[in-house]
Amino acid sequence: MHQDNRPILKHPLNVRVFHYILLLSFLPLAATGLLLFFKPLSDSAMGLTYDIHIVAGVIMALDAVAFTLMAFDRVVLFTNRVFTFGGNDVGWFKVLGGYPQKFLLGKKVAVPPMRKYNSGQKLFGVCVLLGGTALIITGLALWLVPYAIPRDTAWLLGMIHLGCGLLLTAFLPVHLFLAVYRFDDFKAMMLHGKVPYHDAAEYTPLWVQEEVVPVSSKHAE
Amino acid sequence: MTDKYQFTEDGFLLSRRRFMAVGAAILALLALPVGWLGNRIAKRNEYIKARADALYMDDAIAKYRVSHANPAIARYYSEFGGEPLGHLSHELLHTHFVDRTKLKS
Amino acid sequence: MTATSYQPGEIRGLIQIDALKCKGCDACKQFCPTHAIEGASGAPHKIDEERCLSCGQCLINCPFGAIHETQSALDTVLTKLQDPNTEVVGILAPAVRVAIGEAFNLPKGQLLTNKLYGAMHQAGFKIFDCNFAADLTIMEEGSEFIHRLHANVRQEPDAGKLPQFTSCCPGWVRFLETEYPSLLPHLSTAKSPQQMAGTVAKTYGAKVYEMAPEKIFTVAVMPCTSKKLEASRPEFKSAWRFHQQHGSDAAPYADVDAVLTTREMAELLKRLDIHLPDVAEYKGDSLFSQYTGAGTIFGNTGGVMEAAVRTAHKVLTGEELAKLELAPVRGLEGVKEAELTIHDQQLKQDVQLKVAVVHDMGRNIRPLLEQVMAGTSPYHFIEVMNCAGGCVNGGGQPINGSGTSWVAQL
Repeated sequence: MHQDNRPILKHPLNVRVFHYILLLSFLPLAATGLLLFFKPLSDSAMGLTYDIHIVAGVIMALDAVAFTLMAFDRVVLFTNRVFTFGGNDVGWFKVLGGYPQKFLLGKKVAVPPMRKYNSGQKLFGVCVLLGGTALIITGLALWLVPYAIPRDTAWLLGMIHLGCGLLLTAFLPVHLFLAVYRFDDFKAMMLHGKVPYHDAAEYTPLWVQEEVVPVSSKHAE
Repeated sequence: MTDKYQFTEDGFLLSRRRFMAVGAAILALLALPVGWLGNRIAKRNEYIKARADALYMDDAIAKYRVSHANPAIARYYSEFGGEPLGHLSHELLHTHFVDRTKLKS
Repeated sequence: MTATSYQPGEIRGLIQIDALKCKGCDACKQFCPTHAIEGASGAPHKIDEERCLSCGQCLINCPFGAIHETQSALDTVLTKLQDPNTEVVGILAPAVRVAIGEAFNLPKGQLLTNKLYGAMHQAGFKIFDCNFAADLTIMEEGSEFIHRLHANVRQEPDAGKLPQFTSCCPGWVRFLETEYPSLLPHLSTAKSPQQMAGTVAKTYGAKVYEMAPEKIFTVAVMPCTSKKLEASRPEFKSAWRFHQQHGSDAAPYADVDAVLTTREMAELLKRLDIHLPDVAEYKGDSLFSQYTGAGTIFGNTGGVMEAAVRTAHKVLTGEELAKLELAPVRGLEGVKEAELTIHDQQLKQDVQLKVAVVHDMGRNIRPLLEQVMAGTSPYHFIEVMNCAGGCVNGGGQPINGSGTSWVAQL
């Protein structure tokens, strides 16, 4: 049986660029962040680690600000998606999206129908949205004015920065693994933005049903 | 997959009302922490000012407000100290300073 | 022999950074007046004790509590309070009474003079208010200033140097001694109120308390960590030298035996189960608790200058200032100045007195010192305090978590 390979635009160019810069800045941030917390290196190496952390942090902050300003509609869309939960999400978590069964037992289990982002992706999206914003705001304050904010506030911001940083860093291996596992989506986000119809129909049937529409040829890339 | 895409998302997924609501929530999420931090920075010296005001109040309510009117000081000088800059003052109440660039351990 | 900035006997390295707690955030560096903190951003920081003034500004502002004092006289004082053969005299700075309430969860800005007297009386201290000594400082330093002023106006050959600098802030004195020793002649030779108090307690005070001077144990309670270093200066044994000259053969003792910060005094009271808010008020036990408004404002930036001007005006003109509050020297501006036209009765002429007040010393002092070195300073008298806001924001004060002592523009 032939697969339906008709392409759906899932991630437009501005989203992909945003995501690229995000990953190029977040990976060094996570690595240097852990080093800054545990301080295992020599003094001059810690100094370099800090400088890298700042540069990467500023890049991530600028990326987030630019995207929010230039693509506010996408930010609203994303926020709306990740904060919309329902009974299907509870069911999805109960079977963990069917992934462990697939990897460990080779079994395919029934998964409640999902929209554009599945329940796990939505949870990650919430963490990135709130945690990432918190990291940027606290990071900028701690870098620029740690002396001008009250002592207890600086300590609190430091705790928030640490907590969110650890949370997102812990999520990272899961995200990286599953992002590659879902190879069609990987290609969509990292290359050309399009997923084949069959992939969308299998993993995001409600999205296909409710949101995906054919385009006239003048909209095509 | 290099073909032109044939499907996309319906641009009218969100109603205008929902768009506004979510948009407002995002802006609040950004503005509230920044506003709160700005407020904490603006109020950073309240405790220094409070302590200083308390000392100025101690002055305002004092029975004597000028050092030369302190009867205890007058007694110190008359019973023991002599007079300001006098011999005893030089011995007990004045000092010298040290050029620390010339010290050796 | 290696170069050092400490005399034998002085406390070295009073302030230390705990490398395990330090995050390398550089907040402390912003507060250090002498750039004594080393370490790249992100790396653990370290204090160069040769440059350090022990002012404690880094300590009270570190967001992660990574900086601490390495010396405390708390246990010694507790032991002395128990000793029936020792009279422990508590010397109380002005700034302590308006901040110690914070350590007992009272609202900020509470004036607790008589409660503090009561608490310390209960603990076994005799009360010697440092404000009395502040008044004494004004008498000595004010007279010295007028003497220098007249000598300069009359162009006498060995006139003392103008502008005269105040000398009560030990951080400021150590700063001049280490970085600008050529300007030392400008410092008033008057001791700080703390040191005058210690000396007076063991000389005139020995008569008042009817106690042998070597049995008097003076404890200064200060908003300042650098005062610990000041008390340890080897030359500050004036009372002992005085009694030696009068036939005593007691072993040497310091004028100020111990210094406790406001924080340490709060801790002492707590260890003795003395709950400051509930203590009965006490009016003091000798003339040493009698002070004026001029003495008490020493704790604020501009306070010493205002007190000095009030007395200088009376001495020069024969009359009290109509308005005692000298508004131009009050407030948190880095450098404040005031100008007064005074009719000098002795010189029989008008004098245009120009005075300046500097606090947050690290950030604000250098331009004025450059002027003095170039001979172009327009001022006659300059008050300098190391800490932003003055002693009320000293390194020994209760640490206010909801504030920072960053008073400069951002």
